[in-house]
Amino acid sequence: MIGWVILGLLALAVLYCVGIYNSLVSLRENVKNGWSQIDVQLKRRHDLIPNLVETAKGYMAHERGTLEAVIKARQLAVDASGLKDRMAAENALTGTLRSLFAVAENYPNLKADAQMRQIHEELTSTENKIAFARQYYNDEVNRLNVAVQSFPQNFVAQMGGFSKADFFEIKDAAEKDVPQVKF
Amino acid sequence: MPYSFTQIEKDRSRTIAWVFSSLIVFYFLTGWVIALLVKNYNLIADAEPVENFTPALLTLPETLTALVIALAVAGVHWLVSVQGMVERILRVLQAEPLNPKDTHHQMLANIIEEVSVATGGRSITGVVVPTPAMNAFALSDFGGQAIIGVTEGLLGRLNRAQLEAVVGHEAAHVVSEDCTTTTVTTALFGLINGLLNAVTIGLRGSGRSSSRSRGGNGFVVFLLLVYFILAVTRLVSLLFNMFISRQREYRADAIAVRLTRDPLSLAQALYIISSRWRGGGMAGEELEALFITNPRFSQLDESEGFFSELFSTHPPVEKRIQVLLDMARTDVKTLEESVKGQETHSRQDVPLPGPVLAKRWLVNQNGAWTGPFTLSQLATLQGLGPNTWVKPSGSETVIEASDDQDINSLLKEGGGRVQGSMLCPRCQVPLTEMAYEGTLVAKCSSCGGTLVAENDVQRILVRREVGFSDRVAHLAGLLQRNRVPASPGLNLRSANLSPCPHCPSPKPKMIHMLYTMAYPVEIDRCLTCGFLWFDRDELEVLQYLIEKRVAPV
Repeated sequence: MIGWVILGLLALAVLYCVGIYNSLVSLRENVKNGWSQIDVQLKRRHDLIPNLVETAKGYMAHERGTLEAVIKARQLAVDASGLKDRMAAENALTGTLRSLFAVAENYPNLKADAQMRQIHEELTSTENKIAFARQYYNDEVNRLNVAVQSFPQNFVAQMGGFSKADFFEIKDAAEKDVPQVKF
Repeated sequence: MPYSFTQIEKDRSRTIAWVFSSLIVFYFLTGWVIALLVKNYNLIADAEPVENFTPALLTLPETLTALVIALAVAGVHWLVSVQGMVERILRVLQAEPLNPKDTHHQMLANIIEEVSVATGGRSITGVVVPTPAMNAFALSDFGGQAIIGVTEGLLGRLNRAQLEAVVGHEAAHVVSEDCTTTTVTTALFGLINGLLNAVTIGLRGSGRSSSRSRGGNGFVVFLLLVYFILAVTRLVSLLFNMFISRQREYRADAIAVRLTRDPLSLAQALYIISSRWRGGGMAGEELEALFITNPRFSQLDESEGFFSELFSTHPPVEKRIQVLLDMARTDVKTLEESVKGQETHSRQDVPLPGPVLAKRWLVNQNGAWTGPFTLSQLATLQGLGPNTWVKPSGSETVIEASDDQDINSLLKEGGGRVQGSMLCPRCQVPLTEMAYEGTLVAKCSSCGGTLVAENDVQRILVRREVGFSDRVAHLAGLLQRNRVPASPGLNLRSANLSPCPHCPSPKPKMIHMLYTMAYPVEIDRCLTCGFLWFDRDELEVLQYLIEKRVAPV
C-alpha cells in the first residue's frame, strides 16, 4: 500500500518536472523567436538606407557630412558580429538617422518629395518595429530569466541546460519609460 | 508577467461554451413553451363542453423530445452562424481591403505590422470601412484568422501615434482571443436580428389584409405566438450581452498600453473618437460589441451599477480615459490642450501635376528645343522616336529618348497605353495619375480638373493633409454668400462635357449637378460608374466648405 503511494508521488513529481521542462522550452523558443524578429527588422533597415541616401542626395548637396555618417554607420552595423558589438553599431546608426531627419527639416522640397515621404514612412515603421521587437524580446528574456532562477524551476533548468539570456539594451534618453499598468 | 496567456485561453473556451449552452437552453425553453401552448390549445378544441377543459403540463417524454429538438436546432444554428462568420460580418460592414497605392492605407498596414511585431508575430490583416465615422473593430475566428478594421474617418483624423494606440487596442482583443467570443455572439445575433426583421416586415405587409379574411382563433394564436417569440428573442439578445463583459475593454486598453507603451495617445484617441460621430446609423451599428466604442450613444454604457455592469458592452468612456491618464500621469486638462493643438498641424500646399511630381523633358524637334512636356504629353507628341534627343528638365545632359527609362517604357508599350489612358473630358488631353490626400486621382495638367472615384471622394473629404490657399477660401466664401443656383440638383442644360472618361465605350454622358444642397459645389457625375469630375478648384472648395462645417474637437 505504502509502496503504491510512494510510486504515485514519484510519478506526480516526474510529471511536474516534465511540465516545468516543457514550459522552459517554450520560453526559450519565444526568446529565439524574439531575437529573429529583431534581426529581420534590422536587416530591413539596412536595405532601406541606400534608397534614403540616394533620394536625399539630390536635395541636400551641402550636407555631405551627415549623409556620409549615415552610410558609414550602416556599413559598421552590417559588418558587426556578436550581440554587444551589434547593439553598439545599431544604436550609433539610429543616432545618425535621427540627425539626418533633423537636418532634413530645413529642406522643404525634400520634405514634400513623394518618394522621400514614402521612405520616411517606411523608416519610421521599421524603427517602430525594431523598438517593438526589442520590447518583446526583452519581455521574453525577462520571463525566461525569472523562470530559470526561481525555485523549483532552477533544478530542472540546471539539469536541462537552460541558462539566462542577455537583454537587448539601449542607451537612449528619448526612450519612452514603461508606464504603470493597472486595472 | 502580470498576464498569463494560458489563463486567457481557458477563459475564452469557457465563455464560448457558455454561449453555446445558453443557446441550447434558449431553444429548449421556447420549444417547451410552444409545445405547451399547442397541447393546451388542442385540449381546448377537444374538450366538449369547454368547461371540462383542464390545463396540462408536458410529460417527461415530451420534454425530452423538446430537449433533443432544441439540441439539434441549436447545433444547426451554431454551425450555420459560425460558417464564414468573419466574411459575413465584413460584408455587413462593407469593409474593403487595403489599397497598397494609397499612402494612408500603406501607413495603416505598416502600423498593423508594427503592432503584430509587438505581440510576437501574430499575423493580422487590415481592412478599412469607407465611412467618415470614427471607429475601429477586431474580428477573429477559430482558425486563427484575425482582422482589424478601421474607418476612413479614424484613419484621416488621428495622428500616427493615436492610430497605433487604437490598433494596439484592437490587437489586444485579438491576442487575448476575447474577440473570438464577440465575433461568435455577433454572428449568432446577426442571424437572429435578420430573421426577426423578416418576420416583422412580413407581418406588417400581410397582417392587415389576411386577418380579416382568415379571422378565427387559429390566426390570433399564431399572431400572439410570433409576437411572443419576438419579445423573447429580443430579451435573449439583450441577455447575450452578458457574455460580453465590459471589463474586456479595460483589459484591452491595458494590454494595448503594454504593447505600445503609449497610454497618452490612446487616451487622446478615445477622447477624439468619443467627441465625434462614431457611426450611429451606419451599416452594422447593431454589431456594437465589435467596436472600440459603441457606435450608438448608450445611456447604459455611460452609467455604472449592477445592471449596466451586466448588460452593457462598453464601459463609460470617461472612466476609460481616466484610467489611461493615470497611467500616463497627466490630467484631463493637459489632454484637451494637446488635442486642440493637433487640429492646426502644418499642411502641405495643394499638389499640382507639375515639376514636383511629374518629370518633364525638353524635346529636340527639327533642331529646336520644345517643351517641357510631361510624360502624358509626350505620349501624344508627333515624331518622338527612340533616337530623338531629349533633355530631362533641370539637367544639362542631352540623351537619346531610349536611354531615359520612363520614355523608353512609354515607347515600348506603344500606342496601347495612350489609348488606355483616360482623356480629360474638357480638353481631351491625357489625364495624369497623381496622389492627392494620399489617394490616387486623375488630374488634367491643362485645365486643372480632377477625376475621382466615388469612394475616393469620401476619403479625400475626411483627410486633412492639404491646406488651402486664400483663393479657395475666397471662392468658398462667395459660394456661401450667394448660395443659389435657381434649379438645384440636376441641371442638364449645361452638360457640355465629353462622355465619362472612365467607362468603357459606349461611354455614358456625365450629369451636371450640385454635390449636395448643403454644399452647393457644381460637379459632373457619371451615373454608370459613379466617378466624379471636378473642374479646377471645385474639389478644394468642397473640402474647404466641409472642413469649416465640421466643428473642431
